[in-house]
Amino acid sequence: MQITSFINILLGLLLAPLLLGIINKTKASFAGRTGQPLLQAYYDIIKQLQKGAVYSKTTSWIFRAGPVVGFSAILVALAIVPMGGVAAPLAFSGDLLLLAYILGTMRFFTVIAALDTGSSFEGMGASREVLYSALAEPAFLIGLAAVARVTGIMSLSPMLSAAHFFSPEVVLVVVALMVVYLCENARIPFDDPNTHLELTMIHEVMVLDHSGPDFALILYSSALKLWVLGLVIVGLIFPTPPGSFWLVPVFTAICGLILLAVIVGIIESTMARLRLIRIPQLLVAAGSLSAFAFILVLR
Amino acid sequence: MNYEIVLWLLILIPAISGLICVLAPSPKVALGMMCTCVFSTALLGFSAIGAVLLHGKILFAAANWLFMDALSAYNLFVMIIVFCLSSIYACVYFQQELLHNNLTLKQIRQFTSLWCGAMAAMTVVLISNNLGIMWVGIEATTLITAFLICIHVSRESLEAMWKYILICSVGVAFAFMGTLLAAASAKSVGLGSHNALLWTTLRDNAASLNPVFIKAAFIFLLVGYGTKAGLAPMHSWLPDAHSQAPAPVSAIFSGFMLNAALYCIMRYVPIVETATGHTGWGLKFLVGFGIFSIIVAAAFITFQKDLKRLLAYHSIEHLGIIALGFGLGGLGTFAALFHTFNHSLCKTLSFFAAGRLGQIFGGSHDMEKMSGSLPVSPVWSIGIFCSILALIGIAPFALFMSEFQLVKAAVDSHAWVVLSLFLLGAGLVFVGALGHAIPLVWGTNHESRKPVKANFFEAFLVFAPLAVLLVLGLWMPKPLFTALNSAASIIGIASSVTSSGVGP
Amino acid sequence: MDSPIEIMMILLVLSDMALLGLSRLRTCISIVSFQGMLLGGLALVTQFGSLTPRLIMIAAASFVIKGFVFPYLLKRGIREAGTLHESEPFIGYITSVLAGVAMLGISLWLGARLPLFAAGSGNYLVVPAALTTLFTGLFLIIARRNALNQCLGYIIMENGIYTFGIFSVVEIPLLVELGILLDVFVAVFVMGIAIYHINREFDHLDSHRLNVLKG
Repeated sequence: MQITSFINILLGLLLAPLLLGIINKTKASFAGRTGQPLLQAYYDIIKQLQKGAVYSKTTSWIFRAGPVVGFSAILVALAIVPMGGVAAPLAFSGDLLLLAYILGTMRFFTVIAALDTGSSFEGMGASREVLYSALAEPAFLIGLAAVARVTGIMSLSPMLSAAHFFSPEVVLVVVALMVVYLCENARIPFDDPNTHLELTMIHEVMVLDHSGPDFALILYSSALKLWVLGLVIVGLIFPTPPGSFWLVPVFTAICGLILLAVIVGIIESTMARLRLIRIPQLLVAAGSLSAFAFILVLR
Repeated sequence: MNYEIVLWLLILIPAISGLICVLAPSPKVALGMMCTCVFSTALLGFSAIGAVLLHGKILFAAANWLFMDALSAYNLFVMIIVFCLSSIYACVYFQQELLHNNLTLKQIRQFTSLWCGAMAAMTVVLISNNLGIMWVGIEATTLITAFLICIHVSRESLEAMWKYILICSVGVAFAFMGTLLAAASAKSVGLGSHNALLWTTLRDNAASLNPVFIKAAFIFLLVGYGTKAGLAPMHSWLPDAHSQAPAPVSAIFSGFMLNAALYCIMRYVPIVETATGHTGWGLKFLVGFGIFSIIVAAAFITFQKDLKRLLAYHSIEHLGIIALGFGLGGLGTFAALFHTFNHSLCKTLSFFAAGRLGQIFGGSHDMEKMSGSLPVSPVWSIGIFCSILALIGIAPFALFMSEFQLVKAAVDSHAWVVLSLFLLGAGLVFVGALGHAIPLVWGTNHESRKPVKANFFEAFLVFAPLAVLLVLGLWMPKPLFTALNSAASIIGIASSVTSSGVGP
Repeated sequence: MDSPIEIMMILLVLSDMALLGLSRLRTCISIVSFQGMLLGGLALVTQFGSLTPRLIMIAAASFVIKGFVFPYLLKRGIREAGTLHESEPFIGYITSVLAGVAMLGISLWLGARLPLFAAGSGNYLVVPAALTTLFTGLFLIIARRNALNQCLGYIIMENGIYTFGIFSVVEIPLLVELGILLDVFVAVFVMGIAIYHINREFDHLDSHRLNVLKG
């Protein structure tokens, strides 16, 4: 455990909400507006922390536990995923499975917290979310399994450093992971974060009833999720030249994340949200890309 | 006589006539040109066939890309007979349609040029040594005859044409894959690429070809060319195409085109057999497809309502019998080749009769409407009845003789399951078809129609094939016997027939 | 960097997957024309050391015919028929994509049994990619209702066979090659005419509704 891995975690905690700001700024510039300030996510989190929470009488402890468990899960994920070639503090062999299941835990608690409210809107969002994540998970796992097979390593930290981006299998996995990234973070073309129509919400509607510090935790967790999953993709794309000073690869990783946020912003600005029956098709297509990469790797 | 030129002319005359027919000024001229083309090609063909079958020569042309040996010659003989008879019939048939103003000049031009083109394509299939060109010929027949089906554009004929094009093109694409695999097997032996597709080269080097590739090739080829030949379960295009096409076109479909596809499979059988060490690996599949076709056809024949569909299912059954014969080998190959000729002759006659009867009865082929046709048109109803009798294998027609030889071949090779299935299928067909044929001729005539007189040509078209079939059933002429034997020996499994063992 | 042939084979399989999953006919036609151009280039790449004018001519001919002429004929068919999307297919899109992955697996297994090249060379993907394309074409013909989609399936089948042909028989004689190309061209042309007639007569292109002839 090096000091650099803790610095990486600190960087993640500090800079994650900036990604949200970058995405919004990109969308604004595409639309010809000035848009929200870059640090708006920070202001929102701080504002929500200072408010009081309102809990419905129909909810139980699950509703209060949901955001907290989600936040703790994503913190653990932050401790597993490496950045810039530096091994993560909690890295061990097989931690890529743990990553998938941490994301699953997060999702599970968000969903049951939403169901706990007893409102039909949250229930509708919960059922959609569960369907799409059930389809996205094979794409994620098979893709990572393909990379693990190619490099022969089962732990995320050494694996991401060892993967060569310029082999066809890794390119396919990166494309599949990009689709999963958009799905997991509830971005267009899966879910519109700005929609006000309940019939079209997926993620937004599940957190409709949270307020105050809970909502702040939810905002922060979603920013950290953007960061963590982005690190997996950026780690696959940008190679770490061995023996370089720690700052250079970390700087490259941060720039890669910013670039990823810009790309997400561009995708959000140029595409419309897909019809709900088309979303499973896109996810299955991503899954088949991962499967194809895996089959290629098996030869 | 320079047979090189003869071989070239066999292809060029129909092809050029096809192009000229497009410019024909009147229907009579068009039909006349078509008949001239067919008969002149027939004359040339007979001279070449005579050289090969009677004198035992093998003809080559175009740097060994065209060639004719006994198998080609025999099939060419069948094709010429079918085309000549069908051309005469087409003149008779279309004369009636022109009388009733059912046919425009444009349609006649289309028909005659496509007819000649089809003849050219089938000749290419038969006399090409290059397996790739053989494939091109089969695909060309598919495309040319597709338009022959919908000379009269209607919903049913368009549907039949679409099914035909799609299913047969897919099948022929599979056959192309098989051809490539066969060439790949030659490549791994080290044959020059310009040689790898020549049949004679493959046959000479068959023992050293890569067996894995050849086996894969044969499967693709059997499925592919089998689709074109109408073997079940790839036969679904056949009843539609045959029933919707005008009668002369159905006649050449059943009379020759199906045989051409089976001929292509036959070209590959000796290669596969030698390459897999004479274990009969490929023949099993042939037997399987043949029996399956017979059973499927038998099942469908029993409840047919349309006369031409009934005849189409008969074609499937008989192609199954021929495939079965080839699969059994030995006497079976001889019987199958003999059956090719018999079936072609008989089937063309039956389609002629079905077409004319349909015309007489106002354009529909529904057997209910056509019942009791004997008083209306004695010549054609005798034709249809006798041809159906022959098709279901009644002695002393020649079809009975070839099927009998097939049974003997099955008994000789102790293929009891195959034999029992074959007899079951044949029995079902016997009952079913006869059940349709008898009311057709002697049933009660629902609408009274005036009797139609038949002219000399129609009588010739009916009685000449029947006479030939009767004669062949009782006595096999020596030239035919030697021809069949030499053709069978090319397929590589020596036939063990003596001339006295052929009689009943 | 892997050999260009491997990259092209992967692109070929990716285009097959895309064709299985898309419903918009124009996009499908564009992908098929891309496949055609890819294969035209493939013919040149395999013979990079020994380019002959004959080879260039054949590659250029197949490039033009498959990349431009076929899409033109088919797009004209779309315009005549007025259909833009595939109507409800027999086998849904998700199942089609999954079937595509399954076909890829089967093709890889079959490819191992047909050793066209020495094991370990960069060309191990050729036979599986060709077989996948062949099966994809067949699948589209069976699973789709629109007659134009079925015609596309035929072109895709021919693409697969052509891929196999480029590698297995290195030098098919010119006449055969041209004859094959001509045949495929005429086949598509004929199908186009048939589609035109069908649309005019029936007012739709749904081949599932072409079911008058039965039994």
